[in-house]
Amino acid sequence: MRFNRSTPASLFLNLLVVACTLILTFPLVWIVMMSLKQQAEVMIWPPRFIFTPTFENFRVLFDAAHAGATSYGTIKVDFLTPVTNSVVISLGAVLVSLIAGVPAGYVLARRDIPMKEDIAFFILGFRFAPALLVVIPLFSVFQTVGLYDTYFGMIWVYQVVTLPMIIWLSRSYIEDIPKDIEEAAAMDGAKPFRVVWHIVLPLLKPGLIGASLLIFLLAWHNFALGLILSSTKAPVTVALLKLLNPGVQFYPVMAAGLVVTMIVPVVLIILGQRHLERGLTFGAVK
Amino acid sequence: MANVRLEGLKKAYGTIEILRHIDLTIDHGEFVVFVGPSGSGKSTLLRMIGGLEPISGGRLLIDNELVNDIDAADRNLGMVFQSYALYPHMTVSENLAFPLRMAKASKAEIASKIATTASLLQIDHLLDRKPRQLSGGQRQRVAIGRAIMREPKVFLFDEPLSNLDTELRVQMRVQIAKLHKQLGNTMIYVTHDQVEAMTMADKIVVLKDGNIEQVGSPHDLYHHPASHFVAGFIGSPKMNFLGGKVEAAHEDGLDVRLEAGSTISVPVQPDKMLVGKPVTVGIRPDDFSSPVQQEISIRLEVDFVEHLGSVTYIYGFAGDETVVARAPISGSRKGAGKLTLTAAPADCHLFMSNGKAVRRLQAPASWS
Repeated sequence: MRFNRSTPASLFLNLLVVACTLILTFPLVWIVMMSLKQQAEVMIWPPRFIFTPTFENFRVLFDAAHAGATSYGTIKVDFLTPVTNSVVISLGAVLVSLIAGVPAGYVLARRDIPMKEDIAFFILGFRFAPALLVVIPLFSVFQTVGLYDTYFGMIWVYQVVTLPMIIWLSRSYIEDIPKDIEEAAAMDGAKPFRVVWHIVLPLLKPGLIGASLLIFLLAWHNFALGLILSSTKAPVTVALLKLLNPGVQFYPVMAAGLVVTMIVPVVLIILGQRHLERGLTFGAVK
Repeated sequence: MANVRLEGLKKAYGTIEILRHIDLTIDHGEFVVFVGPSGSGKSTLLRMIGGLEPISGGRLLIDNELVNDIDAADRNLGMVFQSYALYPHMTVSENLAFPLRMAKASKAEIASKIATTASLLQIDHLLDRKPRQLSGGQRQRVAIGRAIMREPKVFLFDEPLSNLDTELRVQMRVQIAKLHKQLGNTMIYVTHDQVEAMTMADKIVVLKDGNIEQVGSPHDLYHHPASHFVAGFIGSPKMNFLGGKVEAAHEDGLDVRLEAGSTISVPVQPDKMLVGKPVTVGIRPDDFSSPVQQEISIRLEVDFVEHLGSVTYIYGFAGDETVVARAPISGSRKGAGKLTLTAAPADCHLFMSNGKAVRRLQAPASWS
């Protein structure tokens, strides 16, 4: 379909797009710039857009051994551990969610079980509740059971974030697969498990890649769960906050930390853009 | 190859009965067509035989073996779906191989079976394509091929041709009928298209509201419909139904006074109980043109005329009732007017007010 718009109207719309782009990218550009500046340059008013970039901040982030002596004074950061923690926890959470959530989504899509809709809605309910609702009681539970500050415990509790998404997304993807195809496989001699393995999962693959990316990002950006339920196994989001020392505030180092934190999702989004779009619009396109 | 026996088969969802009490025997090698309007339960019945729908009551025997609780995967039946239901992520040859892979056949066996089946259905050149690259007719052939691969005991077809255009439908109809001759398997075929039923079946099962209305050969159903419903459902254009009342019974049949005016003598079982009762006379459009000595005649107010080339149908009113008749000579009429239709009494059917047919005394004149 083609719309013919008057020149002023289309000019206005284009300007609107430019404005949106500027508003959205400004903080991003600002942070990247900040991460390449010296502490002193960061504080200058008016801000400078032309400066000599330095990778000092990134060195400080990862060079735990020599970090003590910087031009900023004494700072000792170990940013590699939280990055590793985040990777382990997020990947683990995605994996566990896939293993538990896809079969659950399948049952909700295909089987007649009592109170199916109520169960599905209850699962979705976790997405409505603020994370703190779960976190505070869990804190004492985790302390008692010995799950506090463990990968196992973190991956487990992250399911609150990732599992409902996977269940709901895979349910709707599975509903989009014509039931006839599964029945045809059954007639062809495939038992339910093999129907899922040979037919449903391959058809689900593009959708699941997109959904996995999506929940990886959710897990990656989660803050509240890690803040309260971990210390040495804290994710990168919590580590970023810890850079805001009560005394000196190392803004450029923090900005470098933010850039590092952003790189993972940005790379994933660029690599998986096709799947992400497909994951989000899977139901709409036949 | 196998026979199929349905003994008091029932299907209910909660309190809603879909199929009431189905008794049916399908012999080894028979081509049986389930036909009926939508909601008659014909597809449900097929799916129960296939194992895709749980059975609520009664017994289902395939090859004299009770299969009520046996999984679809273990019944060794082949099914062709209306939607083709090909596996979209597999090529044609992978689709064909799937049933044999599930049966853990050897690679060599799978390859040789694919070659045989593909040449039988003329899909050799399509083996490396994905289903989305095929036309409707090609998809349907692949679906049939996949059902053949495992050499199933019984083939089930669930309205396989309804997604095809008319020309292709006729071609595929012939191909399926040929396939039945070649393979000699028992085949059960569901359709709502009575033409498919008439042309393909050894035996037609007419279903209505979850009950079997009549079972018989296409010939039986056409000439001896057991009920008003079957008479109306089988044959195209539809049989004409004229209201009337039985005036007298004599040894040659019943005299019926039509609401349209005339009195006709129908050669049926002369049941005296019927005298004075309302009945329905059925005459097929094609039977109006038979040039016979002993005639019944009906005055027709012509509404419009349909020229189909080889035949011409005249639509009109006899009293308040609509009547379709094949014109005696094609192309002889153009528009409205009045006409006297003639038919042989032996070609008439008579139905009681409960819809059941009154048994006809003699073979219809149009036979032989």
